[in-house]
Amino acid sequence: MKNIFKFIYACLILSVTSCDDAIEITQPGRLGAENAFQSVADLQGGLLASYNFLDTTYEIGFTSAMTDECYKGRDNGGQNSSEQNFNINSSNGYASGMWSSYYGAIGMANRVIEAGDLVDRSEDPVAYDNIMGQAHAIRAFSHFQILTWFSTDYTDNDALAGLLLTSVTEDIFAQIPRSTNMEFYDQITQDLNAAEGLITSDAGNKFLGLDAINAIRARMHAYKGDYAAAKQYAEALLTSYSVSDQTQFVQMFEDNDFTEIIFSLERSIGDSYDGQGTAGGGWAGSLYAFVDASEQGGPFMEMSRSVYNIMAGTSDVRLSRCLNVAESIIDSDYETNDNFLNDDVLLAYKYPGGTQPLLNDLKVFRAAEMHLIVAEAEADAGNFAQVGVLINQLRSLRGADALSAPTNEQDAFGMILDERRLEFLFEGHRWVDLKRMGDRGGRALDRDARECSFLSGCTLANSDYRFTLPIPVSELTANQAAQQNPNY
Amino acid sequence: MKTKFSVILTLMLALVVQISFAQNKNVSGTVSDESGLPLAGATVIIEGTTTGVTTDFDGQYSISTSVGDVLVFSYVGFLSQSETVGASNTINVSMSLDNALDEVVVEAYRTTSKETSSISSTTITAETIESRPNASFAQTLQGQVAGLNIVTNNGQPGGNSLINLRGVSSISGNTEPLFIIDGVPVDEDNFRSLNPNDIASLSVLKDAGATSIYGNRGANGVIIIKTKVGTYNQGLKVSYSGLTSFSNLQSNDYNLMNSREQLQLEKDYGSGFGSTLSDVELEARARQTNTDWLDVFFNTGLTQTHTLSLSSGGENLNSFTSLGFSDTEGILAKASTLKRFNFRNNINGKSNDGRFRYSTSLSLNYSESLEPNSIGSGAINRNFVNGALLSVPYISPYSYVSGEGANIPVVFANTPLFLLDRLETYTRRDDEIRAIASLKASYDITDEITFNSTFGADFTEDQLTRSEAPNSFNAQLFAQTGNETPGFEQRNSNRSVYLNFNNQLNYRNTFDDKHTIDVSLFTEYFKAHWRSFGYFAEGLDPATYYPGDGSAYIDDNAANDNFVDTASANIQNAGLFSVFAYADYDYDTKYGFTATVRRDASYRFADSNKWGTFWSVAGRWNLSKEDFMQDVTWINSLKLRGSYGKAGNQRIVDSGGAFAPFGGADLTRDLYVTGNQYGGVNGLTFAQIGNNSLQWETVVSSNIGIDFSMFNRLRGSFDIYKRNTEDLFFPTPISPAINGAQSSISANVGELQNTGFDLELKYDLFKAKKQGDFGMTLSFVTNFNEQEVISLGSGGDIPYGLRVGGIIGEIYAAPYMGVNPANGNMLFQDQNGNITEDLIESDQLATMKNAYPDYQGSFGFDAEWKNLFMTTQFNYATGIYRFDFDYSGFMDPRDIGQFRHSRDILAAWQQPGDITNVPSLNATNLDDQDLSDRHLRKADYLRLRFFQVGYNIPESVANKSGFSYARIFASGENLITWSPWKGLDAEGSGSAQAGYPTPKTVSFGLEFGF
Repeated sequence: MKNIFKFIYACLILSVTSCDDAIEITQPGRLGAENAFQSVADLQGGLLASYNFLDTTYEIGFTSAMTDECYKGRDNGGQNSSEQNFNINSSNGYASGMWSSYYGAIGMANRVIEAGDLVDRSEDPVAYDNIMGQAHAIRAFSHFQILTWFSTDYTDNDALAGLLLTSVTEDIFAQIPRSTNMEFYDQITQDLNAAEGLITSDAGNKFLGLDAINAIRARMHAYKGDYAAAKQYAEALLTSYSVSDQTQFVQMFEDNDFTEIIFSLERSIGDSYDGQGTAGGGWAGSLYAFVDASEQGGPFMEMSRSVYNIMAGTSDVRLSRCLNVAESIIDSDYETNDNFLNDDVLLAYKYPGGTQPLLNDLKVFRAAEMHLIVAEAEADAGNFAQVGVLINQLRSLRGADALSAPTNEQDAFGMILDERRLEFLFEGHRWVDLKRMGDRGGRALDRDARECSFLSGCTLANSDYRFTLPIPVSELTANQAAQQNPNY
Repeated sequence: MKTKFSVILTLMLALVVQISFAQNKNVSGTVSDESGLPLAGATVIIEGTTTGVTTDFDGQYSISTSVGDVLVFSYVGFLSQSETVGASNTINVSMSLDNALDEVVVEAYRTTSKETSSISSTTITAETIESRPNASFAQTLQGQVAGLNIVTNNGQPGGNSLINLRGVSSISGNTEPLFIIDGVPVDEDNFRSLNPNDIASLSVLKDAGATSIYGNRGANGVIIIKTKVGTYNQGLKVSYSGLTSFSNLQSNDYNLMNSREQLQLEKDYGSGFGSTLSDVELEARARQTNTDWLDVFFNTGLTQTHTLSLSSGGENLNSFTSLGFSDTEGILAKASTLKRFNFRNNINGKSNDGRFRYSTSLSLNYSESLEPNSIGSGAINRNFVNGALLSVPYISPYSYVSGEGANIPVVFANTPLFLLDRLETYTRRDDEIRAIASLKASYDITDEITFNSTFGADFTEDQLTRSEAPNSFNAQLFAQTGNETPGFEQRNSNRSVYLNFNNQLNYRNTFDDKHTIDVSLFTEYFKAHWRSFGYFAEGLDPATYYPGDGSAYIDDNAANDNFVDTASANIQNAGLFSVFAYADYDYDTKYGFTATVRRDASYRFADSNKWGTFWSVAGRWNLSKEDFMQDVTWINSLKLRGSYGKAGNQRIVDSGGAFAPFGGADLTRDLYVTGNQYGGVNGLTFAQIGNNSLQWETVVSSNIGIDFSMFNRLRGSFDIYKRNTEDLFFPTPISPAINGAQSSISANVGELQNTGFDLELKYDLFKAKKQGDFGMTLSFVTNFNEQEVISLGSGGDIPYGLRVGGIIGEIYAAPYMGVNPANGNMLFQDQNGNITEDLIESDQLATMKNAYPDYQGSFGFDAEWKNLFMTTQFNYATGIYRFDFDYSGFMDPRDIGQFRHSRDILAAWQQPGDITNVPSLNATNLDDQDLSDRHLRKADYLRLRFFQVGYNIPESVANKSGFSYARIFASGENLITWSPWKGLDAEGSGSAQAGYPTPKTVSFGLEFGF
């Protein structure tokens, strides 16, 4: 009998002693946060992760659908119906896409900056400084993008921007209110200055270098109406970047010419954006077509007639760059044809892709923007003739006819708006441009009458609340301190 | 009287055990119930002595005796029976029920009689599971157990069913019961490889008294499955059952247009092919082509199943062996099949003195299935169901030319052609090997003390092949520029093994004939391993292409990255460790009391709250045993029972499938991942914020129930319950801005309550007095469940998702109020109760409606007359609301020219003053309906779930032909459904959008044995 009990005890002990291997399990292949950053190379990895959060496809897709750039295409299965009908609410996917991209980048940049203290700089001081500088630049750019899309008025220093985050927040449940534009501008300026002091080498236009920093400054000053500074930065950049000619312009959007590119986000086969993203987050071209930019490519967002009609019949290279002229089907009776959706097919062509259809780099800053910022500065300063000169310089490079110079401020800004509408078509600028200078230029959202007869509106006042994006519902739910924008 | 029995495998020791040796004859045999299932723990005593033995867990006994002795067989709940020892060495006894009691109760780690059980449970026997055409037995269970809600949302043969016991008790975690087959915890989402005909019994344990002993795995109930076994001292028995079934699509009430109507609609609306036709051309096309694509993509699925089983037993060894083969076609033509081969061998053995017993159970299963993916998605080039539902009838299937997929014009109206091409060119195949094995051994250390050990393993190896042919529409369409050999092939190998090792020390004794004590102590060790790897090969050469074979793979080249293949691999490990105990005290089968306690550790919480304690107390009172009840003769038996306790759910992330034990393995850790290249170089990305206070969900439940039998005709049980899930695991919102785009963290913050009742009734409307008389038993099963979210923690409500005071899956919508007669726009009620055409987000109000039923269950009858038998089962469910997005599509004018429509759209508003419920085709607020309840439908249903009629070949005839028995039958599943739901399958979960409906099936079967 005693032996039997020994046997049982042995069994029980066996079970108990082996219990640890059932419950103390570390899964293989895991990298704990505590061990993530040990060298300058790890910091570089973190920096690349931060870059990888940056994505402008949400801006491009939203702008095309919400403004007068696009109308639903032949193969539209309901995509962007909300935006086309101005139904924007806090669940809007584009708004939350932007929020996530830029706060993802900010969060990662903050982690890199903080991890800098853990890593020995002397291992490679130059690389270390360049990493830290770029992390600050990413943080500045991302904060600026948040301000751009979520602030009610760029020129109002007291208006709310977003959450200003310059360190990793330990309390994940923290309730943090939005900061003002002023606080944002100050921090962005500070970060850009820090970046400028640290970056010494030129990593190319896929990374935020000294030129990109100045481009951010130029755009930021233009948006807030501080045109003297904007002009200064823009003109400085135009000494090293020239606006491309027609061939270069065409090649730029096939990622073969970089004359104009100050900063673009690289998109290549096999990266995390290599996939269809009809509502952002994938191939830029898939914001317009399911498969490719051909007639058989499943176009679901097509170039709006309101833009096409401006350029139709001209030799403006922007028409052939933005529209697949060879395969588009133009129905001259579209205004009366019941079946015009099927008979009038205007294929967006700015992101045709290379080897992978629809996959292209995302152009963030290019010389033409700097050129037009200078024009804005001239308009602001009352040099209307000079506005005409600058616009016609650009138009000449694009193969468009010259226009007569404006004679008053409204015409000058109107002319700039009209030009930007064509120059930056499908690049995510139109909504911002109408918001910030639509009233000054006497322009508003201008949809084609035929197209908008099927939509809930043909235009929208520049002062409408939908020219500010709603703070996403995911943010409001968790962070009650974050104020929603008016009317949402 | 049909009764429910179970094979008994866990140990119950004797009430009276003494063994003497000096006798001159050894008699052995099997003690079983009326349906032949062995009774474990029955006592066999030589009359007039105290000499006796108990049967083992297979009902076997062996006793030394003399000719002329009388053996008295007794077992709790059965009438004692005497047999005189004669010349034979074998005495097999079939025991009859004591009228008052009718059920053997399978409990967690033991078996009791109804009288000595304190738990709430239901047992289903083989006869209700066999002979059904469902590839997964879970589907068969539907409606048979009060409180067990089973929804099969997928017509794939052997597809997963969603199973909930007494309401959904978790938001993000696992909500399905723990399944244990022959002592082995198994993957509850995958029964496609298992043969339902091998099941002897299936017991559903419901209340805390029954499930708390499963600790952190018991919160959602436990289902214990026992497979068939042989008996000792039994000659060879061979039995065969075969079934041939024909499955078809269920009908719909969508009132879909034919070719002429669709073309006319397009013409009138001015969009699509119809708008380009003259009246004459339209007429010609309509006459020429009128395709109902439902009939093209769905067709009759033929199923054949065969099971052959052999059982035999010697003195100390018996075995049960079965071979099964089945070939099932889903109704989705060509794309959906299941073929499987099953082998099972169950062996029981014992030592000569019966003190040592062992059993092994082994089942080896292999299945091959074609299983379409993208089901439910809107992908018109991938989801075959879209081809069936959306396709316009004026296109002919003959427009598709085999092999010419690349040339199909890309317009939505060509949806059926894309999908016909996919049927030909796309392969998705699962090959699965599944082995479930267990070994049990028991040793009686003393007459009162037994040691049991059970070791079990569930092994699954699944190989998935996905292949898109190079000449297919999809491959060509999405090919990179200049890629002449597109297409891809993906192969994945997933291997999982679950190991479970349980040791039990049991003490059981009876004092003064009245006080019975049963105490057990356990340890349990669970370990699971997952290994997977696979690749994704880009580019296939059509010359050598064959799905699954690598000859066609294209190598990478210097010119482009079109043919860069990707490889993947994953290792995961999981484990649990527990110590636990139960104690049961019974007084004279009048009163009893059971307590359980379990200490559990889960690897998931190793860094936070490793150990948890779960417990329960339960009591019973057999009122009908009391003296004061002896005069109440119309009551045959009456038992009151109650339980209270706490069980846990450590599967806080519902991964499902074979991966279930491994999901959420690292939630306590802050993690980085490598990958996410930018500029062609790997990044290092912060991936997860850990929660270092993570723990299990706990379900505290109370249950009060009665079991009764009266008038010698009516029997049943009634339970009321309350189940509170505390520390509800829930993705608590966190600020994505502050937390680097992470918008939630999983945390135990909420509380959820389910309350309701279960009722099960059987009534013998006609009792057969003798064999061949007419007998009919009615049955009724129902459950009512009500849910309330009690707390969501400090984060509070999730807008338009979940709220305190609401229910899981609550639908938020603004009421649809009809059409504005003035302009044809839709009218809705806004949040302030005003009528509006323009809805905003916040007009969506909580409705207290969701896709889970309030009442659900079944009713039906079993009847027998002479050699005929008949069974019906009607299932019903009420209080279900689902969005019918399929119908929404058929009513959407924006799809005119692209997809098919319902005739109902012809009622659309046309001119001012029209009163209708269908908005103008040019209404400007069509988007607003997405925020409304316009397409929310009640999906209550009553369904003839099962109907069977059969004939037993008279024994005399069968015997003459050399058979011991033979029967033939015909049956139907889902034959008729009454429901306000318009779609193809009233049963389903959530919104309906291009899903794969379950079929209706007619079967013919043959069974015989010799």
